[in-house]
Amino acid sequence: MKKRFLLVVALVLVAAMLVGCTSESTSLLDKIKDQKKVVVGTSADYPPYEYIDDAGNKTGFDIDLMTEIAKRMGVKLEWVDMPFDSLVAAVDSGKLDMSISCFNYDEERDKTVDFSEAYYTTEDAFVVSSAFTGSIVKPEDAANYKVGVQSGTVQDGWLTDNLVTPGLLPEANLSRYERVDQAALDLANGRIDVLMGDYVPVQALVAQNPDLLIVYNGVLSTGPINIVLPDGDVELKAEVDRIIKELQAEGFIDQLAVKYFSE
Amino acid sequence: MDFGQFISYIASGTIYTVGVTLIALPSGLLIGTMLALLYVYGGKTAARVMNLYSTIFRGIPPIVLLFILFFAVSKGINLSAFWAGSLSLGMVSSAYQMEIVRGALLSVSGDQLMGARAVGLGRLQAIRYVVLPQAVRLAIPPWSNEAAIVIKDSSLVYALGVPEILRKAQLIGASSQRYLLAYLSAAVIYFLLVFATTKLLNMLEKKLAIPSNP
Amino acid sequence: MPKPILTIKNLTKTYGENVIFQHLDLTVNEGDTIVIIGPSGTGKSTLLRCVNLLTRPNDGQIWLDDMEITAKGTDEDQVRQHIGMVFQNFLLFNHLTALGNVKLGLTRVKKMSDEAATKKAMHELARVGLADRANHYPGQLSGGQQQRVGIARALAMDPRIMLFDEPTSALDPELIGEVLEVMRQLSLDGMTMLVVTHEMGFAREVADRIVFMEKGYIVEEGSPDEMFNHPKFPRTREFLWKITELYGKKEKDAE
Repeated sequence: MKKRFLLVVALVLVAAMLVGCTSESTSLLDKIKDQKKVVVGTSADYPPYEYIDDAGNKTGFDIDLMTEIAKRMGVKLEWVDMPFDSLVAAVDSGKLDMSISCFNYDEERDKTVDFSEAYYTTEDAFVVSSAFTGSIVKPEDAANYKVGVQSGTVQDGWLTDNLVTPGLLPEANLSRYERVDQAALDLANGRIDVLMGDYVPVQALVAQNPDLLIVYNGVLSTGPINIVLPDGDVELKAEVDRIIKELQAEGFIDQLAVKYFSE
Repeated sequence: MDFGQFISYIASGTIYTVGVTLIALPSGLLIGTMLALLYVYGGKTAARVMNLYSTIFRGIPPIVLLFILFFAVSKGINLSAFWAGSLSLGMVSSAYQMEIVRGALLSVSGDQLMGARAVGLGRLQAIRYVVLPQAVRLAIPPWSNEAAIVIKDSSLVYALGVPEILRKAQLIGASSQRYLLAYLSAAVIYFLLVFATTKLLNMLEKKLAIPSNP
Repeated sequence: MPKPILTIKNLTKTYGENVIFQHLDLTVNEGDTIVIIGPSGTGKSTLLRCVNLLTRPNDGQIWLDDMEITAKGTDEDQVRQHIGMVFQNFLLFNHLTALGNVKLGLTRVKKMSDEAATKKAMHELARVGLADRANHYPGQLSGGQQQRVGIARALAMDPRIMLFDEPTSALDPELIGEVLEVMRQLSLDGMTMLVVTHEMGFAREVADRIVFMEKGYIVEEGSPDEMFNHPKFPRTREFLWKITELYGKKEKDAE
């Protein structure tokens, strides 16, 4: 039994060495431009960043963003769907040119791959109506009230992990909505006290509705997200970073946030 | 999305599940049978090598082999996820199928081989015309078991991004937030595939059975 | 002048320390039926296997007609075609019909056409009285019928000599007769036969010569009359008396 275990370890080490030894000498950017095609991996099971629509096509914040990036690189975009855990290895081994899948920067991952500049920082916001009499100084204070959130979002995940699971917020006091605007309606009607959502779309919501106000905003659920790139490919990273900055300056990314993080 | 669309989206992964199985199982049978013949009739050294092969491939979790083949070995040769997955599963299965065929050969061999040699058949002829036809019949029940395992193990290629049943269930589960329904649907499809295969092999076994009085 | 078909000279077979038999000499002439008798474990079956090259002897020579088959480089498959072997446990091919069993050697070894092989096989099956069972599988036949198929299978190859290794030992008493009758007929037809058996009735009636083997040696050989009525050695007399007693008892029990 022990022998067998050692054998497996040895094989994995050999595999790891194979991965480690081969290094790309030229930039992938040249290859991408030559072939007029970029191969991008994503794990299309993470709405609203990447998921499939009713027709089975990929859609979401990351998907639209990458489509635009490829367009500006002047190349065709080829998607490869893969479970999240396999994406970094696939970029590292050259199966993918890059991967966009709501990646946070991670020191461990940085050893084998590179990260682009953050293309978006998910900031979270708590919204109340003007009739709200309580107080939310820190995020955990939300546990004392009836909270609403868009179902399946990173905010839903944060509330569930940090307030519901530890027993601070009773499950019955957390209402999950299909869309953020439905939650906003209930907030205005007084069915819920607090709404948690992504800061960018929530700002847009508040601007439309004078009865609502943001009482807290900060980075809670996700933080900055980046595109994963092959290790040490300076030229490719420079090109991707350039386009990201361009899109940020044009407001393209904030528009995407409004589109995907509120409906 | 209505229920019909939901199911048919997941079921559309069946082509990959069946595809992976149809490559892994026959390639495993071909390799496994050749190795089993070497194991049983190839002398001591061959037997030792085959034993090592069997120990190694049965000792590695299929998913590890999948990753090795896809992420490491196929850096040079550009192997698609589908082929890397199918071939790794075929390799693992070949070790198990070798043991199945070996067991069948051993339980036929001996006397039957002697009877054939006494008539004047050469060793290879005796194996080909007397031992193998009987071994095949004996191997069907355990082989049907292995076929079921390979069908189910084919779900592992989801990790490489092959859009088979399990991956499709994950995707539609995520987008619809109906995970339970998605995985139940996948389970039903897998069950039907395994059930049909086992049933077919069962029929084959009955059809090939050697007639005898009770 | 009798023509020797099988000549065994100075044959020795050991398994490690264990000597099965040594310095054995035996000649079988054309048309002869030789019956080897003796207690269990005296190397009778091993001797037959040596003759058929299923086991290699340690020393000594065996000739089939004028060819030394123990010589190096002998094509064993070629030799076995000319030596018919009938086993205690029949060793029929379980997945083939009686006809298929008899045909296999004809089509695969003698490379006969299917038609010719079928014709020849049917002839041999008829010879052992089983033409009507041609399409039965071994599992559908009685032990006696299976052994007769085994004999037909060996005969089909037109062997120079037939070896019988305790052909009736695995049979129920009521099935022994049909097999012995086939063998008796074969002997009458002039087939050269070397038979290991405990059937003393068969030995007495059919054998041209009886060989008594014990502990790896041939103790005595002679005609049935010499062996049964005037054995030279006390061991032979003792063995024959014992086995006849036992055999007679069995026969009585069977009635």
